[in-house]
Amino acid sequence: MEKKKNGIVKKFLSIRGMGQVVTVTIGLIIMCVIFGILSPSFFSGRNVGNLLRQIAPILLVGIGQSYVMITGNIDLSIGSVLGMSCMISATLMTKGISPTVAVFITLAACLAVGLINGLLVAQFHLPAFIATLGTMQTARGIAQIVNNNYNTDAIGKAAQGFRDFFYYGKLLGIYNTVWITLVLFLVFNFLLSKTRTGRHIYAVGSNIDAAGLSGVNVVATTVKAYLVSSFCAFTVGLITCATAGMGTMDAGNMYEMYAVAASVIGGVSTLGGQGILVGTIIGAAIWGVLQNGLQFAGAPVAMRNIVIGVIVVVSVLLDVIIRTGRKPKLKKSN
Amino acid sequence: MKKKLLTVLLCVSLVGTLAAGCGGKDKEESSSGDSSDEKKSKVILITMDSTDQHWVSVDRGAKEEADKLGVDYAWMAPDKKDDAQQIERINNAVADGADAIMIAANGPDSITSALDEAKGEGIKIIYVDSPANTEAEATFATDNEAAGRTAGEELIKGLEAAKITEGKIGIIGVNPATQSTVDREKGFRLAFEDSKYELLETQFGEGDAAKSQDIADNYITDGCVGIFGTNEGSTVGAGNAVKGDGGSVIAVGFDKSDAILSLVEEGSLLCVMSQNPDVMGSEGMKAAVKAINGEEITEKDVDTGVSVISKDNVADFQ
Repeated sequence: MEKKKNGIVKKFLSIRGMGQVVTVTIGLIIMCVIFGILSPSFFSGRNVGNLLRQIAPILLVGIGQSYVMITGNIDLSIGSVLGMSCMISATLMTKGISPTVAVFITLAACLAVGLINGLLVAQFHLPAFIATLGTMQTARGIAQIVNNNYNTDAIGKAAQGFRDFFYYGKLLGIYNTVWITLVLFLVFNFLLSKTRTGRHIYAVGSNIDAAGLSGVNVVATTVKAYLVSSFCAFTVGLITCATAGMGTMDAGNMYEMYAVAASVIGGVSTLGGQGILVGTIIGAAIWGVLQNGLQFAGAPVAMRNIVIGVIVVVSVLLDVIIRTGRKPKLKKSN
Repeated sequence: MKKKLLTVLLCVSLVGTLAAGCGGKDKEESSSGDSSDEKKSKVILITMDSTDQHWVSVDRGAKEEADKLGVDYAWMAPDKKDDAQQIERINNAVADGADAIMIAANGPDSITSALDEAKGEGIKIIYVDSPANTEAEATFATDNEAAGRTAGEELIKGLEAAKITEGKIGIIGVNPATQSTVDREKGFRLAFEDSKYELLETQFGEGDAAKSQDIADNYITDGCVGIFGTNEGSTVGAGNAVKGDGGSVIAVGFDKSDAILSLVEEGSLLCVMSQNPDVMGSEGMKAAVKAINGEEITEKDVDTGVSVISKDNVADFQ
């Protein structure tokens, strides 16, 4: 029995990237305990429900950014695509278009940005930072122009179903937002870990030349990663529109950075080729717990910023140390 | 080579678009001419950003008045509240040959040197919404501290009417640097000076409706009986959180927008302090023209006031 138990634990830990995930999970648990002690209402059923719903959007954009980071790139346009999604859907709905049609039109626009990102990076070989910086500015401009540089009116009673579906409604006591995120996580995690596309994504991130020479279609793989990222930003844009019940031009501001933080804390490497989405869940959870817990603890806003910054740096340091520390250990065991 | 060229071209067009975008809504100018011709007076409005509905209304008021008076008018603003960018706009306005600048200062001290330089060139300064600490021809603003105090008094009235005499009150700020919202919070806290309610540490939502809503949700979980939103986005977030909760939390806020008016009508917001940005724009424009023509401005410090919008009078504003 002893040997069997060890086998399962070892197998679990030997999944690439799981080591960091375990470390940050322990950190998350400690954080939750501390916040629970500081403020009893932190663990109330109501707050847990809210907290999950607050983590969901961060996790979604985190999934998108993780996909792109694993290919060795970055997507700076996430926040702006979110804003674009929020504004386009809201503007269409205020003009009387049904939520379903508005959602599809918005989806097309957001996927177009993802496609452009992927092509600029993989086909035209622009550095990802520059390409997505450009689409970030352009998408934000589109978000502003869509309703003539105004925030939109309220999306109205006809959109109540839309609002309930994406934000206010509950199923079996859990907010719909959380269910939507869970389903999307399962889909994208399966895609990344169990399909050929997923393996290609890791390959491109590990060594783009070797991947290309081995027959991986680098352009298609990069485009797919950016499409996933834009799709996630699109979804969170809809959630934001449903939350506020209107479109705001600066929605999603800085979200690409939160997405990087969530990915990096969870063990996605900034160098590409490494990281698992389970880690991004923990990264997003740490982000959400900090925002939520520090408010209950009455901490000033500067404290929150400092704490988050420190955690992000420590997470990347961990990744670097583990990566460089691993090589000699491997040699020894051989 | 081809790829390099393409990269360079794209970077240049990127920088070009950025520069054009940062230029805001300034119009193309044919030669500025010399002061001896009969040229139109030029007034430029500089606000804190170009997207908040409040500034769009100031611009609207200013533009209408400018058309009436035959003034050459332009609106310049950075896309975010940023001191350095606002200073750039001031310098651009000076270079563009403005005769007067109407400005909503980000902060009381951060842009004073740029304004002093403008005054040195003979440009007249009018403050709209937020003054800075340097002399100007006139100021048209909401007395934010007084308005914040009114909001606090209305909240206390509402709580007492609901027989809630003590409990926690949550404040949703924008950021610690925007003077107008800081003043509103100050006034609000003054209204609670001798009361039994406990005011919690202010949380900042950056004026983003979704972030403010999360903050409000957390206040409600923490057992708050009242919530105060210090600007439009914060108020939308507060109102939506109360609506989602479906409970008895009372929220008050600032500014009006279609969404806010709906929330007031539904009862999710008790009342909001509606400023008069249009009035700031139009009166500011009138004063700017007077200053350019050397006429005397009788009222130098105008409180453009707030209207309290509640369920009773919301129909008048829709």
